[in-house]
Amino acid sequence: MSEIKKGTPKRGISVYSYCRLLGYTMTLDDVFEDMYDAGATCFELLANHIENYPNPSTQWIDHYFHLCEKYHMQPAEMGHWAETHLHRGPRMSDEQILANLIRDFKLANLLGFKSLRTKITCINEYCDPEPEWEHLMELALPYAEKYDVAMLSECHAPTKLTRQHIYDYLEFADKHQTKHFGINVDFGTFQNQWPEDIYSPEEMERRRSRGYGKPDSWSQPEDIIPILPYSKTCHAKFNYVDENFEERTIPYAKVLQLMVDNGWSGNLVSEYEGPGREDAAFLGDQLRRHHILMSRILGY
Amino acid sequence: MVEYSAIQQRGFHNTCDAKGNLDGFEFRFTPKYYKGLWFTQCRFGNVTVDGEVFDRDSLIFEYDGLEYTREELFDVKIYWQIRVPITVKVKKPGGLKLGYHDVSMDFGWVLNYNGEPEKEFDGSGLGNGGHMMGTENSRRMLLAR
Repeated sequence: MSEIKKGTPKRGISVYSYCRLLGYTMTLDDVFEDMYDAGATCFELLANHIENYPNPSTQWIDHYFHLCEKYHMQPAEMGHWAETHLHRGPRMSDEQILANLIRDFKLANLLGFKSLRTKITCINEYCDPEPEWEHLMELALPYAEKYDVAMLSECHAPTKLTRQHIYDYLEFADKHQTKHFGINVDFGTFQNQWPEDIYSPEEMERRRSRGYGKPDSWSQPEDIIPILPYSKTCHAKFNYVDENFEERTIPYAKVLQLMVDNGWSGNLVSEYEGPGREDAAFLGDQLRRHHILMSRILGY
Repeated sequence: MVEYSAIQQRGFHNTCDAKGNLDGFEFRFTPKYYKGLWFTQCRFGNVTVDGEVFDRDSLIFEYDGLEYTREELFDVKIYWQIRVPITVKVKKPGGLKLGYHDVSMDFGWVLNYNGEPEKEFDGSGLGNGGHMMGTENSRRMLLAR
Protein backbone atom coordinates (compact mmCIF):
# COMPACT_ATOMS: atom_id res chain seq x y z
CA MET A 1 0.00 0.00 0.00
CA SER A 2 1.53 3.34 -0.99
CA GLU A 3 2.29 5.76 1.76
CA ILE A 4 0.17 8.89 2.01
CA LYS A 5 2.24 11.99 1.34
CA LYS A 6 2.27 14.28 4.37
CA GLY A 7 0.03 17.33 4.04
CA THR A 8 1.33 20.90 4.20
CA PRO A 9 -1.58 23.07 5.34
CA LYS A 10 -1.21 26.82 5.02
CA ARG A 11 -1.40 28.90 8.19
CA GLY A 12 -3.85 31.79 8.10
CA ILE A 13 -6.15 33.97 10.21
CA SER A 14 -9.83 34.81 10.00
CA VAL A 15 -10.50 38.53 10.16
CA TYR A 16 -13.46 37.49 12.34
CA SER A 17 -10.92 37.10 15.16
CA TYR A 18 -10.72 40.91 15.23
CA CYS A 19 -14.51 41.43 15.34
CA ARG A 20 -14.39 43.37 18.62
CA LEU A 21 -11.64 45.66 17.40
CA LEU A 22 -12.28 46.20 13.69
CA GLY A 23 -14.19 49.43 13.29
CA TYR A 24 -13.62 50.34 16.95
CA THR A 25 -9.86 50.70 17.28
CA MET A 26 -8.48 48.94 14.22
CA THR A 27 -8.87 49.39 10.49
CA LEU A 28 -8.63 46.63 7.91
CA ASP A 29 -5.11 47.88 7.17
CA ASP A 30 -4.21 47.38 10.84
CA VAL A 31 -5.70 43.88 10.74
CA PHE A 32 -3.66 42.87 7.70
CA GLU A 33 -0.48 44.14 9.33
CA ASP A 34 -1.27 42.22 12.51
CA MET A 35 -2.03 39.02 10.61
CA TYR A 36 1.29 39.32 8.80
CA ASP A 37 3.18 39.81 12.05
CA ALA A 38 1.45 36.78 13.56
CA GLY A 39 2.88 34.63 10.77
CA ALA A 40 -0.21 34.14 8.63
CA THR A 41 0.12 33.61 4.90
CA CYS A 42 -3.59 33.48 4.09
CA PHE A 43 -6.83 34.88 5.51
CA GLU A 44 -10.58 34.58 5.74
CA LEU A 45 -12.70 37.65 5.14
CA LEU A 46 -16.38 37.79 6.01
CA ALA A 47 -18.63 39.37 3.39
CA ASN A 48 -19.40 42.26 5.72
CA HIS A 49 -15.69 43.13 5.93
CA ILE A 50 -15.95 44.21 2.32
CA GLU A 51 -16.56 47.94 2.41
CA ASN A 52 -19.98 48.80 0.97
CA TYR A 53 -20.85 45.11 0.56
CA PRO A 54 -22.19 43.85 -1.75
CA ASN A 55 -20.96 46.68 -4.02
CA PRO A 56 -17.37 47.53 -3.16
CA SER A 57 -15.83 50.45 -5.02
CA THR A 58 -12.97 49.90 -7.43
CA GLN A 59 -10.82 52.00 -5.10
CA TRP A 60 -11.50 49.59 -2.25
CA ILE A 61 -10.83 46.57 -4.45
CA ASP A 62 -7.52 48.06 -5.54
CA HIS A 63 -6.61 48.77 -1.95
CA TYR A 64 -7.60 45.24 -0.91
CA PHE A 65 -5.21 43.73 -3.48
CA HIS A 66 -2.56 46.21 -2.41
CA LEU A 67 -2.90 44.87 1.17
CA CYS A 68 -2.68 41.27 -0.06
CA GLU A 69 0.48 42.08 -1.98
CA LYS A 70 2.10 44.23 0.70
CA TYR A 71 1.61 41.59 3.40
CA HIS A 72 2.16 38.51 1.19
CA MET A 73 -1.31 37.27 2.02
CA GLN A 74 -3.39 34.85 -0.06
CA PRO A 75 -7.20 34.96 0.03
CA ALA A 76 -8.31 31.66 1.60
CA GLU A 77 -12.03 31.83 2.32
CA MET A 78 -14.89 34.31 2.21
CA GLY A 79 -17.62 33.87 4.79
CA HIS A 80 -21.15 34.41 3.56
CA TRP A 81 -24.71 33.41 4.37
CA ALA A 82 -27.15 31.46 2.18
CA GLU A 83 -30.11 33.41 3.56
CA THR A 84 -33.58 32.06 2.87
CA HIS A 85 -35.59 34.26 5.27
CA LEU A 86 -34.34 37.79 4.73
CA HIS A 87 -37.88 39.15 4.77
CA ARG A 88 -40.72 38.69 7.22
CA GLY A 89 -43.23 36.18 6.00
CA PRO A 90 -42.63 33.09 3.89
CA ARG A 91 -39.30 31.77 2.69
CA MET A 92 -37.75 33.64 -0.19
CA SER A 93 -38.24 32.22 -3.67
CA ASP A 94 -35.56 30.02 -5.19
CA GLU A 95 -34.79 32.82 -7.66
CA GLN A 96 -34.23 35.37 -4.89
CA ILE A 97 -32.01 33.03 -2.89
CA LEU A 98 -30.00 31.97 -5.92
CA ALA A 99 -29.50 35.57 -7.09
CA ASN A 100 -27.92 36.43 -3.74
CA LEU A 101 -25.68 33.37 -3.84
CA ILE A 102 -24.51 34.16 -7.39
CA ARG A 103 -23.77 37.72 -6.31
CA ASP A 104 -21.51 36.38 -3.54
CA PHE A 105 -19.86 33.84 -5.86
CA LYS A 106 -18.95 36.66 -8.27
CA LEU A 107 -17.60 38.76 -5.44
CA ALA A 108 -15.52 35.90 -4.04
CA ASN A 109 -14.13 35.14 -7.47
CA LEU A 110 -13.29 38.80 -8.03
CA LEU A 111 -11.42 38.98 -4.71
CA GLY A 112 -9.46 35.78 -5.33
CA PHE A 113 -11.23 33.35 -3.00
CA LYS A 114 -11.57 29.67 -3.85
CA SER A 115 -13.44 28.69 -0.68
CA LEU A 116 -16.64 30.05 0.76
CA ARG A 117 -17.78 29.41 4.33
CA THR A 118 -21.45 29.05 3.36
CA LYS A 119 -23.91 29.26 6.23
CA ILE A 120 -26.84 27.16 5.10
CA THR A 121 -30.11 28.10 6.81
CA CYS A 122 -30.70 25.74 9.70
CA ILE A 123 -33.47 24.84 12.10
CA ASN A 124 -31.74 24.35 15.45
CA GLU A 125 -28.54 24.97 17.45
CA TYR A 126 -26.95 21.88 15.88
CA CYS A 127 -27.30 23.52 12.46
CA ASP A 128 -29.43 20.76 10.99
CA PRO A 129 -30.34 22.31 7.63
CA GLU A 130 -33.72 23.41 6.37
CA PRO A 131 -35.39 20.56 4.45
CA GLU A 132 -34.95 22.33 1.09
CA TRP A 133 -31.15 22.57 1.39
CA GLU A 134 -30.36 19.93 -1.18
CA HIS A 135 -32.58 21.51 -3.83
CA LEU A 136 -31.00 24.89 -3.16
CA MET A 137 -27.45 23.56 -3.38
CA GLU A 138 -28.29 21.75 -6.63
CA LEU A 139 -29.44 25.07 -8.08
CA ALA A 140 -26.30 26.82 -6.86
CA LEU A 141 -23.74 24.20 -7.83
CA PRO A 142 -23.39 25.10 -11.54
CA TYR A 143 -22.68 28.69 -10.55
CA ALA A 144 -20.20 27.69 -7.88
CA GLU A 145 -18.40 25.68 -10.55
CA LYS A 146 -18.57 28.57 -13.02
CA TYR A 147 -17.03 31.00 -10.51
CA ASP A 148 -14.68 28.32 -9.18
CA VAL A 149 -15.66 28.58 -5.53
CA ALA A 150 -16.33 25.74 -3.10
CA MET A 151 -19.33 26.13 -0.80
CA LEU A 152 -18.13 24.77 2.53
CA SER A 153 -20.73 24.31 5.23
CA GLU A 154 -19.21 24.80 8.65
CA CYS A 155 -19.31 22.01 11.23
CA HIS A 156 -19.30 24.17 14.36
CA ALA A 157 -19.76 23.18 18.01
CA PRO A 158 -22.07 21.97 19.40
CA THR A 159 -22.42 20.01 16.16
CA LYS A 160 -20.33 16.83 16.02
CA LEU A 161 -18.69 15.57 12.86
CA THR A 162 -20.83 12.45 13.21
CA ARG A 163 -24.11 14.37 13.03
CA GLN A 164 -26.41 12.98 10.33
CA HIS A 165 -26.45 16.15 8.24
CA ILE A 166 -22.65 16.01 7.88
CA TYR A 167 -22.97 12.58 6.28
CA ASP A 168 -25.77 13.95 4.11
CA TYR A 169 -23.47 16.75 2.91
CA LEU A 170 -20.69 14.31 2.01
CA GLU A 171 -23.21 12.16 0.19
CA PHE A 172 -24.36 15.22 -1.76
CA ALA A 173 -20.78 15.98 -2.83
CA ASP A 174 -20.26 12.36 -3.89
CA LYS A 175 -23.59 12.18 -5.71
CA HIS A 176 -22.70 15.25 -7.77
CA GLN A 177 -19.01 14.33 -8.02
CA THR A 178 -18.14 17.87 -7.14
CA LYS A 179 -15.29 19.64 -5.42
CA HIS A 180 -17.46 22.75 -5.12
CA PHE A 181 -19.36 21.63 -2.06
CA GLY A 182 -17.91 20.40 1.21
CA ILE A 183 -17.22 21.06 4.85
CA ASN A 184 -15.27 23.62 6.85
CA VAL A 185 -14.35 21.91 10.12
CA ASP A 186 -14.33 24.37 12.98
CA PHE A 187 -11.97 22.93 15.58
CA GLY A 188 -14.36 23.99 18.32
CA THR A 189 -16.15 20.74 17.55
CA PHE A 190 -13.22 18.97 19.26
CA GLN A 191 -13.29 21.11 22.40
CA ASN A 192 -13.24 18.79 25.42
CA GLN A 193 -12.01 21.07 28.20
CA TRP A 194 -13.61 24.08 29.84
CA PRO A 195 -11.05 25.28 32.39
CA GLU A 196 -12.49 27.28 35.25
CA ASP A 197 -9.86 29.99 34.85
CA ILE A 198 -11.12 30.64 31.31
CA TYR A 199 -14.87 30.05 31.67
CA SER A 200 -16.87 31.60 34.48
CA PRO A 201 -19.79 29.63 36.01
CA GLU A 202 -22.20 32.04 34.28
CA GLU A 203 -20.51 31.54 30.91
CA MET A 204 -20.60 27.76 31.35
CA GLU A 205 -24.28 27.87 32.24
CA ARG A 206 -24.98 29.87 29.10
CA ARG A 207 -22.95 27.47 26.97
CA ARG A 208 -24.57 24.37 28.44
CA SER A 209 -27.99 25.80 27.60
CA ARG A 210 -26.79 25.99 23.98
CA GLY A 211 -25.59 22.37 23.90
CA TYR A 212 -21.92 22.94 24.69
CA GLY A 213 -19.89 21.05 27.27
CA LYS A 214 -22.28 18.18 27.85
CA PRO A 215 -20.74 14.70 28.10
CA ASP A 216 -20.12 13.14 24.70
CA SER A 217 -21.00 16.40 22.97
CA TRP A 218 -17.72 16.85 21.13
CA SER A 219 -16.09 15.23 18.11
CA GLN A 220 -13.14 12.89 18.46
CA PRO A 221 -10.02 13.87 16.52
CA GLU A 222 -10.29 10.74 14.33
CA ASP A 223 -13.73 11.88 13.17
CA ILE A 224 -12.03 14.42 10.88
CA ILE A 225 -10.34 11.81 8.69
CA PRO A 226 -13.28 10.99 6.36
CA ILE A 227 -14.07 14.71 6.08
CA LEU A 228 -10.64 15.79 4.84
CA PRO A 229 -11.15 15.10 1.11
CA TYR A 230 -14.20 17.41 1.23
CA SER A 231 -12.53 20.29 3.02
CA LYS A 232 -10.37 23.02 1.52
CA THR A 233 -10.39 25.37 4.49
CA CYS A 234 -10.83 24.76 8.21
CA HIS A 235 -11.36 27.17 11.08
CA ALA A 236 -8.49 26.62 13.50
CA LYS A 237 -10.71 27.70 16.39
CA PHE A 238 -8.93 28.30 19.69
CA ASN A 239 -9.94 29.66 23.07
CA TYR A 240 -6.67 30.15 24.95
CA VAL A 241 -3.04 29.36 24.16
CA ASP A 242 -0.85 29.46 27.25
CA GLU A 243 2.74 30.66 27.66
CA ASN A 244 4.00 27.18 26.72
CA PHE A 245 2.16 27.52 23.39
CA GLU A 246 -0.37 24.87 24.28
CA GLU A 247 -4.07 25.27 23.64
CA ARG A 248 -5.96 24.62 26.85
CA THR A 249 -9.34 23.48 25.49
CA ILE A 250 -8.85 21.57 22.20
CA PRO A 251 -6.53 18.57 21.48
CA TYR A 252 -4.60 20.51 18.87
CA ALA A 253 -1.56 18.31 18.41
CA LYS A 254 -3.65 15.22 17.76
CA VAL A 255 -6.04 16.92 15.32
CA LEU A 256 -3.33 18.63 13.27
CA GLN A 257 -1.14 15.54 13.15
CA LEU A 258 -4.05 13.45 11.85
CA MET A 259 -4.71 16.04 9.16
CA VAL A 260 -1.07 16.13 8.08
CA ASP A 261 -0.66 12.35 8.20
CA ASN A 262 -3.72 11.97 5.98
CA GLY A 263 -2.30 14.31 3.37
CA TRP A 264 -4.40 17.43 4.00
CA SER A 265 -2.91 20.64 2.56
CA GLY A 266 -5.78 23.10 2.85
CA ASN A 267 -6.03 26.45 4.61
CA LEU A 268 -5.99 26.60 8.41
CA VAL A 269 -7.40 29.95 9.49
CA SER A 270 -7.04 30.87 13.15
CA GLU A 271 -10.31 31.88 14.70
CA TYR A 272 -10.06 33.18 18.24
CA GLU A 273 -13.21 33.05 20.39
CA GLY A 274 -11.79 33.17 23.88
CA PRO A 275 -11.88 36.03 26.38
CA GLY A 276 -10.22 39.39 25.84
CA ARG A 277 -11.13 39.93 22.21
CA GLU A 278 -11.68 43.62 22.83
CA ASP A 279 -8.09 44.00 24.04
CA ALA A 280 -5.83 44.45 21.00
CA ALA A 281 -2.67 43.55 22.89
CA PHE A 282 -4.17 40.40 24.39
CA LEU A 283 -5.71 39.28 21.10
CA GLY A 284 -2.51 39.97 19.19
CA ASP A 285 -0.58 37.93 21.72
CA GLN A 286 -3.04 35.03 21.45
CA LEU A 287 -2.88 34.98 17.65
CA ARG A 288 0.91 34.97 17.70
CA ARG A 289 0.97 32.18 20.29
CA HIS A 290 -1.49 30.21 18.14
CA HIS A 291 0.71 30.48 15.08
CA ILE A 292 3.80 29.46 17.01
CA LEU A 293 1.80 26.49 18.35
CA MET A 294 0.82 25.46 14.81
CA SER A 295 4.33 26.12 13.52
CA ARG A 296 5.79 23.75 16.10
CA ILE A 297 3.35 20.99 15.17
CA LEU A 298 3.60 21.47 11.41
CA GLY A 299 7.34 22.04 11.36
CA TYR A 300 7.20 25.34 9.46
CA MET B 1 -14.59 54.52 14.20
CA VAL B 2 -17.45 54.05 16.63
CA GLU B 3 -17.71 53.82 20.39
CA TYR B 4 -17.77 50.34 21.88
CA SER B 5 -21.32 50.61 23.21
CA ALA B 6 -24.19 49.89 20.80
CA ILE B 7 -25.76 53.22 21.80
CA GLN B 8 -23.36 55.99 20.87
CA GLN B 9 -22.84 59.11 22.92
CA ARG B 10 -21.51 60.94 19.90
CA GLY B 11 -24.66 62.12 18.13
CA PHE B 12 -26.81 62.31 21.27
CA HIS B 13 -28.48 65.71 21.40
CA ASN B 14 -31.83 67.48 21.31
CA THR B 15 -33.44 68.38 18.00
CA CYS B 16 -35.42 71.40 16.86
CA ASP B 17 -38.30 71.95 14.51
CA ALA B 18 -38.25 74.46 11.65
CA LYS B 19 -39.14 77.28 14.08
CA GLY B 20 -36.25 76.42 16.38
CA ASN B 21 -38.38 74.87 19.12
CA LEU B 22 -37.03 71.74 20.83
CA ASP B 23 -39.09 68.89 19.47
CA GLY B 24 -37.20 65.75 20.41
CA PHE B 25 -33.80 64.15 20.57
CA GLU B 26 -31.68 61.73 18.63
CA PHE B 27 -28.87 59.26 19.17
CA ARG B 28 -26.87 56.87 17.05
CA PHE B 29 -26.97 53.10 17.25
CA THR B 30 -24.78 50.37 15.81
CA PRO B 31 -25.28 46.68 16.66
CA LYS B 32 -22.45 44.92 18.46
CA TYR B 33 -22.98 41.87 16.26
CA TYR B 34 -19.89 40.69 14.36
CA LYS B 35 -21.48 41.13 10.94
CA GLY B 36 -23.61 43.62 9.09
CA LEU B 37 -27.28 43.00 8.43
CA TRP B 38 -29.80 43.59 5.70
CA PHE B 39 -32.36 46.04 7.06
CA THR B 40 -35.04 43.50 6.23
CA GLN B 41 -33.46 41.22 8.87
CA CYS B 42 -33.56 43.85 11.57
CA ARG B 43 -36.18 43.98 14.32
CA PHE B 44 -36.31 47.36 16.00
CA GLY B 45 -38.00 47.71 19.37
CA ASN B 46 -39.03 50.55 21.66
CA VAL B 47 -36.74 53.28 22.96
CA THR B 48 -36.91 53.95 26.69
CA VAL B 49 -35.42 57.05 28.29
CA ASP B 50 -35.53 57.45 32.07
CA GLY B 51 -38.46 55.05 32.18
CA GLU B 52 -40.47 56.83 29.48
CA VAL B 53 -41.29 54.47 26.61
CA PHE B 54 -41.29 55.70 23.01
CA ASP B 55 -43.15 53.24 20.81
CA ARG B 56 -41.08 51.69 18.04
CA ASP B 57 -43.58 52.79 15.43
CA SER B 58 -43.10 56.43 16.41
CA LEU B 59 -39.34 56.31 15.78
CA ILE B 60 -37.58 57.60 12.67
CA PHE B 61 -34.38 55.92 11.52
CA GLU B 62 -31.91 57.78 9.35
CA TYR B 63 -29.32 55.87 7.35
CA ASP B 64 -27.07 57.30 4.67
CA GLY B 65 -29.07 60.52 4.60
CA LEU B 66 -32.52 58.94 4.15
CA GLU B 67 -35.23 58.57 6.79
CA TYR B 68 -37.40 55.51 7.36
CA THR B 69 -40.05 54.31 9.73
CA ARG B 70 -39.72 50.89 11.32
CA GLU B 71 -42.38 49.56 8.95
CA GLU B 72 -40.56 50.93 5.89
CA LEU B 73 -37.32 49.27 6.92
CA PHE B 74 -38.90 45.84 6.47
CA ASP B 75 -38.77 46.48 2.72
CA VAL B 76 -35.52 48.43 2.41
CA LYS B 77 -33.09 46.32 0.39
CA ILE B 78 -29.98 47.96 1.77
CA TYR B 79 -27.16 46.27 3.66
CA TRP B 80 -26.53 47.98 7.00
CA GLN B 81 -22.74 48.20 6.87
CA ILE B 82 -20.98 47.00 9.96
CA ARG B 83 -19.96 49.71 12.46
CA VAL B 84 -21.87 52.39 10.53
CA PRO B 85 -24.39 53.89 12.95
CA ILE B 86 -28.03 54.54 12.23
CA THR B 87 -29.52 57.71 13.73
CA VAL B 88 -32.61 57.12 15.85
CA LYS B 89 -34.86 60.17 16.00
CA VAL B 90 -37.40 60.47 18.79
CA LYS B 91 -40.18 63.03 19.00
CA LYS B 92 -40.63 64.62 22.42
CA PRO B 93 -41.90 68.20 22.71
CA GLY B 94 -39.36 70.23 24.67
CA GLY B 95 -36.66 67.61 24.18
CA LEU B 96 -34.69 66.21 27.12
CA LYS B 97 -33.25 68.26 29.96
CA LEU B 98 -29.51 68.78 29.98
CA GLY B 99 -27.95 66.16 32.20
CA TYR B 100 -27.63 62.39 32.50
CA HIS B 101 -30.22 60.10 30.95
CA ASP B 102 -30.67 56.35 30.89
CA VAL B 103 -31.25 55.50 27.25
CA SER B 104 -32.12 52.04 25.98
CA MET B 105 -33.38 50.50 22.79
CA ASP B 106 -34.52 46.97 22.09
CA PHE B 107 -32.99 45.56 18.96
CA GLY B 108 -32.87 42.09 17.48
CA TRP B 109 -32.37 40.45 14.16
CA VAL B 110 -33.10 37.35 12.18
CA LEU B 111 -30.22 34.97 11.62
CA ASN B 112 -30.20 31.79 9.59
CA TYR B 113 -28.00 29.59 11.78
CA ASN B 114 -27.39 28.38 15.34
CA GLY B 115 -31.04 28.26 16.24
CA GLU B 116 -34.66 27.92 15.31
CA PRO B 117 -36.23 30.19 12.69
CA GLU B 118 -38.00 33.39 13.75
CA LYS B 119 -41.21 32.63 15.62
CA GLU B 120 -43.04 35.82 14.69
CA PHE B 121 -43.85 35.32 11.05
CA ASP B 122 -44.97 38.94 10.69
CA GLY B 123 -41.74 40.40 12.08
CA SER B 124 -43.51 41.76 15.15
CA GLY B 125 -41.00 40.29 17.60
CA LEU B 126 -37.29 40.84 18.10
CA GLY B 127 -36.11 38.08 15.78
CA ASN B 128 -34.19 34.96 16.75
CA GLY B 129 -30.67 36.30 17.22
CA GLY B 130 -31.17 37.45 20.80
CA HIS B 131 -29.36 34.46 22.32
CA MET B 132 -26.09 35.79 20.88
CA MET B 133 -25.87 39.08 22.73
CA GLY B 134 -29.32 39.92 24.04
CA THR B 135 -31.81 42.39 22.64
CA GLU B 136 -31.61 45.12 25.26
CA ASN B 137 -29.09 47.87 24.71
CA SER B 138 -28.67 50.47 27.45
CA ARG B 139 -26.39 53.32 28.20
CA ARG B 140 -26.30 56.21 30.63
CA MET B 141 -25.35 59.30 28.65
CA LEU B 142 -24.85 62.97 29.26
CA LEU B 143 -26.92 65.36 27.15
CA ALA B 144 -25.24 68.72 26.80
CA ARG B 145 -27.09 70.27 23.85
